[in-house]
Amino acid sequence: MRLDSSRSLFVRLLALAFLVLVPPVIGLMWSSLGEFRQAFVPEMDKKAETVGRDLAASIERAVGYGIPIDRLVGVEEFFTPVIAANPEIRYLAVSDRDGKLLFLKGGDAVALQPHYSTADFDTEMEHGRKASIEHYIDRALPVLVKGNRVGQVHVGMDEDYITGRLLDIVADVVIVMVVALLVSFELLLFVVTFNITGPMKLVGVVVDKVRRGDFTHIAGVVSEDEVGRFVGAFNSAIRHAEHLYRRLEAYIEEVQAAHFDKTVVERVTDIQARVRFLFRFAPGGNPEAISERQATDIRLPLFLFVFAEEISRSFMPLYVKDLYAQIPGLSQVMVIALPITVFMAFIALASPWAALLTNRLGSRKVFLVGLLPATLGLLMSAMAFNVYDFMLWRSITAIGYAMVTMACQGYISQVSQQDRRTQGLGVYVGAVLMASVCGTGIGGVMAERIGFRTTFVVASALAVLSGMLMYRLMEAGRHGDDLREPTRGDFLALLRNWRFTVLVMFAAIPSKIALTAFFFFLVPLTLAQQSGVDLADIAQVMILYPVTVVLLSPLAARLADRLGWKAGLVAVGGLIGGVGLVLPALWPVGMPLALGVALLGVSHGLSASPQLAMIPDVCWTECRSMGQTNVLAFLRFAERVGSVAGPLLAAAFIPLYGYGGAAVAVGAVVLGMSTVFALLSLAYRAGPHIQAEFL
Amino acid sequence: MARLLKLALAALALLVGLAAAADAAEPARKPFRIYMALWRGWEEAAQGFKDYFTNQNIPVELIVRDAGQDKSKLKGFVDEARQMKVDLVFTWGTTVTEEMLGRFDAVDPARHVTDIPAVFAIVSQPVGGVVADLASSGRNITGTTYLVPLETQLNLIQSYRRFRTLGVVYNPLERNSLVAIDGLKAAGTTMDFTVVPVPVDVADSKPVPASIAGKVAELKKAKVDFLYIPPDTFLNVNRDLLTQAALDNAIPSFAAAENPVTTSKAMFGGVYRYYTVGQLTAYKAEQILVGKVAPSAIPIDAPKRLSILINMPVARQLGMYPPMNLLGLAEIIDPNEAKP
Repeated sequence: MRLDSSRSLFVRLLALAFLVLVPPVIGLMWSSLGEFRQAFVPEMDKKAETVGRDLAASIERAVGYGIPIDRLVGVEEFFTPVIAANPEIRYLAVSDRDGKLLFLKGGDAVALQPHYSTADFDTEMEHGRKASIEHYIDRALPVLVKGNRVGQVHVGMDEDYITGRLLDIVADVVIVMVVALLVSFELLLFVVTFNITGPMKLVGVVVDKVRRGDFTHIAGVVSEDEVGRFVGAFNSAIRHAEHLYRRLEAYIEEVQAAHFDKTVVERVTDIQARVRFLFRFAPGGNPEAISERQATDIRLPLFLFVFAEEISRSFMPLYVKDLYAQIPGLSQVMVIALPITVFMAFIALASPWAALLTNRLGSRKVFLVGLLPATLGLLMSAMAFNVYDFMLWRSITAIGYAMVTMACQGYISQVSQQDRRTQGLGVYVGAVLMASVCGTGIGGVMAERIGFRTTFVVASALAVLSGMLMYRLMEAGRHGDDLREPTRGDFLALLRNWRFTVLVMFAAIPSKIALTAFFFFLVPLTLAQQSGVDLADIAQVMILYPVTVVLLSPLAARLADRLGWKAGLVAVGGLIGGVGLVLPALWPVGMPLALGVALLGVSHGLSASPQLAMIPDVCWTECRSMGQTNVLAFLRFAERVGSVAGPLLAAAFIPLYGYGGAAVAVGAVVLGMSTVFALLSLAYRAGPHIQAEFL
Repeated sequence: MARLLKLALAALALLVGLAAAADAAEPARKPFRIYMALWRGWEEAAQGFKDYFTNQNIPVELIVRDAGQDKSKLKGFVDEARQMKVDLVFTWGTTVTEEMLGRFDAVDPARHVTDIPAVFAIVSQPVGGVVADLASSGRNITGTTYLVPLETQLNLIQSYRRFRTLGVVYNPLERNSLVAIDGLKAAGTTMDFTVVPVPVDVADSKPVPASIAGKVAELKKAKVDFLYIPPDTFLNVNRDLLTQAALDNAIPSFAAAENPVTTSKAMFGGVYRYYTVGQLTAYKAEQILVGKVAPSAIPIDAPKRLSILINMPVARQLGMYPPMNLLGLAEIIDPNEAKP
């Protein structure tokens, strides 16, 4: 994947922005965290005291009824809900007046008893005696019956809890900061390409023409800023040259008409011929303004739109769980999987139609029209009543999504000349990946604070914003090149190409299965079941995938280009993705899901672009006969079988193996298919090296 | 003259009518007259019934009659209620209710109150007795139940202490007890415990109170974990004999009614308090009298809130202390309560 030429500058700019912004923000955060910690400790103390006092009162009541403190019944059951409701409380205990431990829930008696035996509980009775025992802060509140201390209740707070909470906050702040930087990077990129590098490129084109003596064009840039003025001055220079030429022409004609000396007339005519040979001017004396459209023009609207869709990535199945309604004949997990499957199916079905529509109506119109269902779908998803209407809204969103993405791809392939198409498609992939990073990361943080429904409303607002940008910035483009519409016979011919079929079946489809079954569906569901995991934490794990893809894709593309080892990269990527999911079953790892997500990112980062780049090699003749665009579109369509089947497959595995087991089972399927591809790919012979394309 | 008289009568009728209309329009309503037929005198349910009207500021005139556990008086109550043309009849207990309102399949307008709406309370097994279905009586009556569902009771006992064997001493002549034992046996198969039912001796078709202590000793031999005291009139009357025998044999006892715990020595119980039941019954009376709802449209149900009663002196004596969670929910009965 190579992005447009200005990218290296922007990568450097982004790095600079990180360097300038991140250290002060981290410093600021660090100092405020110190304050936060200081404010947090008394709060925890107060809480420990309140909880302890409540429990002591209950025990005082029991002892008051004549129950000896050492013969209290059901104390652990009594403590259980208190510990469950207060994650910072690690244990609760009761000891008698001599400090003998009587009842304990959640702690280690061997560690606590020596401390209790030696402690003097007669001091600090009012707020409870505070002691530090290993990692815990032990607060002992006296149990008083008729003014006599008969024992004490111990509340054990976890010192690490504060650190854990602070780390959570740091992680949230870092994600918000990274997303803010990426968004400002996108804006900067847009502003600079639209206002500066775009016009400059255009001037470059015109200068290039002028260098070759072609004065027929001027740069069509109208803006009120320095760039506009510069281009204006440049254009008037051309007009001036044009004006001088007209005067020269007029003078020559005058000489030709009036001069009596034949040799002079011949000389002048000769000069005229040479000038006409060297320089070309617009007939009629009016140079044509050229305005070239660029792939980058569409980047920001596309980014915002995909951002809107990706915002729900980290919590989609959890939202569906909230909307759950019985669907006869389907288990609960199947019902939760269904909206993702429906969404994927509608994208698959609508995409070919949207591509044709883009050809007919032009990308701007399709983009704007497609935004209507997309925005409506997102907005109504926020207000969904249950899973039934939610599926309807998701399918409407999917149709819009297919239209908008197809319109963008159409636009890009239209404005990029053949040789620059890879760069143009790099713009597409770059915007989608950036949006994926931002949407996944910020979506979780946002949903945690404002709820699922409001987050969907924000998403629909982003979609509207993207539409407004598109409306304001893009002039109505011309209609597409007339693509030859492929016939069913073409596709059958494609499928008879065993290399292509193997690529689809054992590389593209398993890759999509891993994505939708594991990443879209299982990861949020499984993480949400773990105690103490909130939506922002889920997003932190999930953001690993797009980040890894972003970091690895350019590398893999370069590797594929240099080594020409595309099938190998695809095979290795597929195997890594499968192994990442199966790994937790082989030996226990700390965070199996995070590892699986990161390795899936590595897998797709390595294999995605080589997979597409293989197409011209593998389907050389078909690309000739039906057009590479159509071959790639068919690959896209076929691989969506995996997208659609993925969540259903995972949902079918859950009742059999549990959540963790389902991920491993999906991994086994992916690994199995990838192994088949790896073996068969040995039979692929390296074909002619043709530039990679994305579509 | 006759014509004049007629005119005068008509004028009078008009005046009376106007007066009646004026009366109806006045905010201070004529009090509703409620005929309260009781079985064992004035107690908590009757008090709850009365207090509800006081608290809701609904004027009522209560005509209180006590049968004093004498079934023969009830026929007279039916006649009296009819003569007095009361607005509502309240019946207390299974016997009063079935005698005055009739069993659901044997209602006789000659012997039972049918034209006056009625509410009943403290009927242990209304279904199959006074009504066919709790959702609607299908006639001019409604009421409340006061027994906690058996499953709830058993779960409550389990939460106090796990048990495998449940002993029951019962009066074989009382239908309530037989129903309770059938229910216990059915629950025992699903909840995995055995029931040891021991009937008291019967002489001259009357249960013999003196046999109770011996029956409890039998249960002790059978090593029961708990004594279950069903809502049985005979046992209620002889509750002191029964609960003392349990205490002497160190058997913890659970009562499905309030009295064995509050005024005797059963260790604990799960009940709907009579007072609360009386209030709920009054609420249904209000729906009929003020809300003009047909009694058949008002379902028969129990209060929402369960009262867990723990007789602390008994628990102490047995050394079987209540678990902390139960202690937090329960009403503690402790005559010499030591305030902490």
